[in-house]
Amino acid sequence: MGPKQKGGASKRANATEEVEETLQAVVLADTFETRFEPFTLEKPRCLLPLANTPLIEYTLEFLANAGVQDVFLYGGAHSDQLEKYINASKWRAPSSPFKQLTFLKSTSTSVGDVMRDLDGKHLITGDFIVVSGDVISNLPIEGALTKHRARRESDKNAIMTMVLREAGRNHRTKSSSVSPVFVIDPTKDRCIHYEEIDHYSPESSRLNIDTELITTHQEIDLRQDLIDCNIDICTPDVLSLWSDSFDYQAPRKQFLFGVLKDYELNGKTIHTHIIKDHYAARVRNLKAYDAVSKDIISRWTYPLCPDTNLLPGHNYELRKGSLYQEQGVTLARSCVIGRRTVIGQGTSIGDKTTVKNTVLGRNCKIGKNVTLDGAYIWDGAVIGDGTTVNQAIVADRAVVGKNCIIEPGSLISYGVEIADGVNVTEGRRITKAPREDDDGEPTNEPEVVGEGGKGYEYVPYEDEDDDETASNASSGLIYNMANLSLSTESISTLSSEITDFGGSRSGSFSTTMSEDDEDHFVHDAAASVYDSLRDSVTSDVVQLELVSLRMTANASDHQVRRAVVSAFMKRIQQLMEGGKGAGEVIREIFGKYREIVERALFDRDSKTKSDQVDLLVLIQQDLVHRSRGDTVLLFTAKELYELEILEEEAYEQWWADERSSNSEEMRQVRSQTQQFVDWLANAEEEESSEEESDDEEDSDEDDE
Amino acid sequence: MPSSSVALTPGLASFLKSLKTNPIDTSIDDLISLLKRRQIRHSRSCATATAYLLRSVISACRTSDANKLIERVQYVGRRVMAAQPREMVVGNIVRRVLGLIRDEAEDDREADFTLSDAGSESQPQTPRILDDISESLSARHDGSDRSSRQPFTSLSAPPISMFSLLSHPEPESSLPGTPASASPSGRLPSQIHNKDIRAEVLDGINEIIDELGQVDDQIAAYALDHIHSNEIILTHTSSTTVQKFLLKAAAKRKFTVIHAESYPNNHEATHATVSGQTPDDDELLSTEAFQKPLIALGITVILIPDSAVFALMSRVNKVILGTHSVLANGGLVAAAGTRVIARAAKVHQTPVVVVSGVYKLSPVYPFDFDSLIEYGDASKVIGYEDGDLVDQIDVQNPLYDYVPAESIDLYITNLGGHAPSYLYRIVSDHYRKEDINV
Repeated sequence: MGPKQKGGASKRANATEEVEETLQAVVLADTFETRFEPFTLEKPRCLLPLANTPLIEYTLEFLANAGVQDVFLYGGAHSDQLEKYINASKWRAPSSPFKQLTFLKSTSTSVGDVMRDLDGKHLITGDFIVVSGDVISNLPIEGALTKHRARRESDKNAIMTMVLREAGRNHRTKSSSVSPVFVIDPTKDRCIHYEEIDHYSPESSRLNIDTELITTHQEIDLRQDLIDCNIDICTPDVLSLWSDSFDYQAPRKQFLFGVLKDYELNGKTIHTHIIKDHYAARVRNLKAYDAVSKDIISRWTYPLCPDTNLLPGHNYELRKGSLYQEQGVTLARSCVIGRRTVIGQGTSIGDKTTVKNTVLGRNCKIGKNVTLDGAYIWDGAVIGDGTTVNQAIVADRAVVGKNCIIEPGSLISYGVEIADGVNVTEGRRITKAPREDDDGEPTNEPEVVGEGGKGYEYVPYEDEDDDETASNASSGLIYNMANLSLSTESISTLSSEITDFGGSRSGSFSTTMSEDDEDHFVHDAAASVYDSLRDSVTSDVVQLELVSLRMTANASDHQVRRAVVSAFMKRIQQLMEGGKGAGEVIREIFGKYREIVERALFDRDSKTKSDQVDLLVLIQQDLVHRSRGDTVLLFTAKELYELEILEEEAYEQWWADERSSNSEEMRQVRSQTQQFVDWLANAEEEESSEEESDDEEDSDEDDE
Repeated sequence: MPSSSVALTPGLASFLKSLKTNPIDTSIDDLISLLKRRQIRHSRSCATATAYLLRSVISACRTSDANKLIERVQYVGRRVMAAQPREMVVGNIVRRVLGLIRDEAEDDREADFTLSDAGSESQPQTPRILDDISESLSARHDGSDRSSRQPFTSLSAPPISMFSLLSHPEPESSLPGTPASASPSGRLPSQIHNKDIRAEVLDGINEIIDELGQVDDQIAAYALDHIHSNEIILTHTSSTTVQKFLLKAAAKRKFTVIHAESYPNNHEATHATVSGQTPDDDELLSTEAFQKPLIALGITVILIPDSAVFALMSRVNKVILGTHSVLANGGLVAAAGTRVIARAAKVHQTPVVVVSGVYKLSPVYPFDFDSLIEYGDASKVIGYEDGDLVDQIDVQNPLYDYVPAESIDLYITNLGGHAPSYLYRIVSDHYRKEDINV
């Protein structure tokens, strides 16, 4: 690092000469999240239009503003589309402000992989900026950059500067479900601790700050009001840190947290640059999409507004009332165009139609008597007469029939056709993309899209319904306050335990970043066990892997059980979906991997079978979210008993345990197991006293 | 450290630097994106960038056919103007360059004609009787143009064109008025005219660039005529033109300046101007940034919020305003808040003087005022961090005001002082009719 730094210094000294330190930037075009499904099934996320301009344009514009010269663009899913787009764009033209724009393809499944890949490629020569491909900002970065360089000059352990935007407590652009908390030493602008608070899980709504931090720092700011737009200025050291810690996946949750935690070890410091003016935000989910669109239309992002016409060929003009209109728009005489609206070229709007707070792409056809409020209608969509669209997204070439009602939060993906008179209820996601599992033409679901419509309801791959409550509010288009308060304790704790496992496209990367540290272990371990089960690895190997993971994470037995349960249940479910019977599957899995379960239980000899009860409760919790959970629970209970993994006392205690019956779902799931427990109780009775006692059985039932 | 950061951000300086090395099409796109991103935003910077760009365009153009040159400049001009239609100076410069080419072409043809016609000066009009009016305009234009190139004879220039107005029916009389310099220079290269039209145009553009550099000093030369001892002058926002104007007067006379800060878009620059700190604005690349503030010359400067303008107006002797651009009808587009000041001045019968280089004078007639006004960053009015408010209200932050001609009493340009109603004359002197719609 030394010589490099000197080079930088001497260059700066004679900056009057032509030599300038080139500023490099890494754009993570894919953030490895599934927030934008179903749109991202067919298009890379950074090509989704934001106020009719693809997201990536804003990011590249920001980098151009910052004077960046070398850009490395990492594509993820659909990177061929992205590459095609970039190659045809002005950024490839000789007039591009970037001297070099390198498109890197990688098979990475997380930000961590990308960073490690980058480190391996040795492309980075000096300080560089890392942004995700969905950043919208008009911030001139030089202030932060100057500070970063000055800091690095004096202390080469200052490896990273995060640019954070100050925003009040409540802000539409902020994520509502998870709020990052930065603990900052304001005297040095140093971030000393980082944590994320998940508003949906009551157990994590507290911070764990090392007392040492509090005693060693004179001043500490605890800030929850910052918009983290993931603009980081890094030194090349950051890359090697990523490489060193091969298990880091997420830039904040893991990398930042980890590096700060290991300060004693590495001595690396991470700093913050908090800005009070200028705009900076990330389109991290659909809610942010909505918020940032509004910001762009209300010109908070000036000069990145529609009438700047970032794309060649655009010719938006600003009219009164934040109405942006391109040339060649056909408006019927009696239509009403309200405030905050963007209308693209070739769009026609029929008689008596009302449009407000809406973005209309190019060549849309809006019929008569249509009401559009807060809608995002992308290029070439057709809305039939008399239809109402409220706070919903209608993607490219989608057709909505006559007299439909599209309720808030609905997402209608590319090319979907909705028949006449259909009511698309709140929060539906309808797509036409081929399903992930079968290659054939997707079947249409007439109950969703109406007779003659095309498309089916997309259910996120997390078959736990992506826990309707939590994710709808966090990734839904609407600020669903009702849902916010609805997230009762039991549901949200349960879901936060399971949500992330295996759900995202990456298969190993947490989508919501909502869990705290211990959940990482559960998540990783579950993924690892699940993969092993799927590949029919022998139980020894699985066990070995599990143990090593447990050691690294210093995880508790409870966590191990959680991981195991979640992996087993997932696998069982999958096999059952493949057409096998529950009993058969369960016998097969538990028979083969019996040892793993056994090794997670340590109370064989004690009187209270707390571990075994815990296991049963975990299984029960897991099955709440799965289809035919009650059946699976029955068979599992039976199998575990027959394999002598669990003892009768455990079942008894489990049945009496209040955790197993504290909510409606839990009771429902275990209803079928009733017969088994009864049988057990009876058998026990028979064994011990050799006599039937109907009274006992009855009282058992009363207990429920 | 600061030097490196300046070099980083693209702007006028980086554009001019890259212009020498980059191929011309790259430079065009470069300027377009700089304009779009508002990295070049002051009138003068825009004008300078456009002039330099067109100079490169013409020198890169391997033709000496005037029509082709015009086509080329029109093409480039349209693209650059479309990038930022509200920066009218860009269009002004394009039109002036087009006018230059047309003039040179006509000079050439004249010269051809005179050659074949044994050098009679009075003859050349006959073959082109059709566009007789524009012809005489162009001739006059040539005159005033020359005068603007030679600033210290400029005082005498407008009378010539006034004179030629009266003598309109006899175009010959206007020709001898101007041509002392024009026609010889036009004729000399005529033998090799095919080669030299480009050189002539390039010279012309260089003169425009020079004009852009000198315009403030030229305007400041009139300062002593307008600012008298012990007057109270009110001005608004930070403008180098106004500042130089006042400085010039301050060298000789003592007066008081009341400076309205033009919150929220330009108050920082205004404060810097008043207190004499060098503004961070790297766009004003010249040494002007280092000029002394008025207070250093012993002038009392009172910085006031915009809201206090009306209250103080009764004590003000003269309002001196800078502007963003001036329109053909005598109205102007200037920093937001200017219109309020102009209205307040009207109520108090205080004279309003606008100082502006001729390059800001646009031949565009404002039919739709609203379309001229640019709306800026809303967060300057209300902090973006105020989430609840941001969600519920619409914030508009106009950067400019349209001030109607009736509110203005006098324009001072580098050609001298003019009444607003006279501006159309200057317009027709500087721009050719054919070019008004590029």
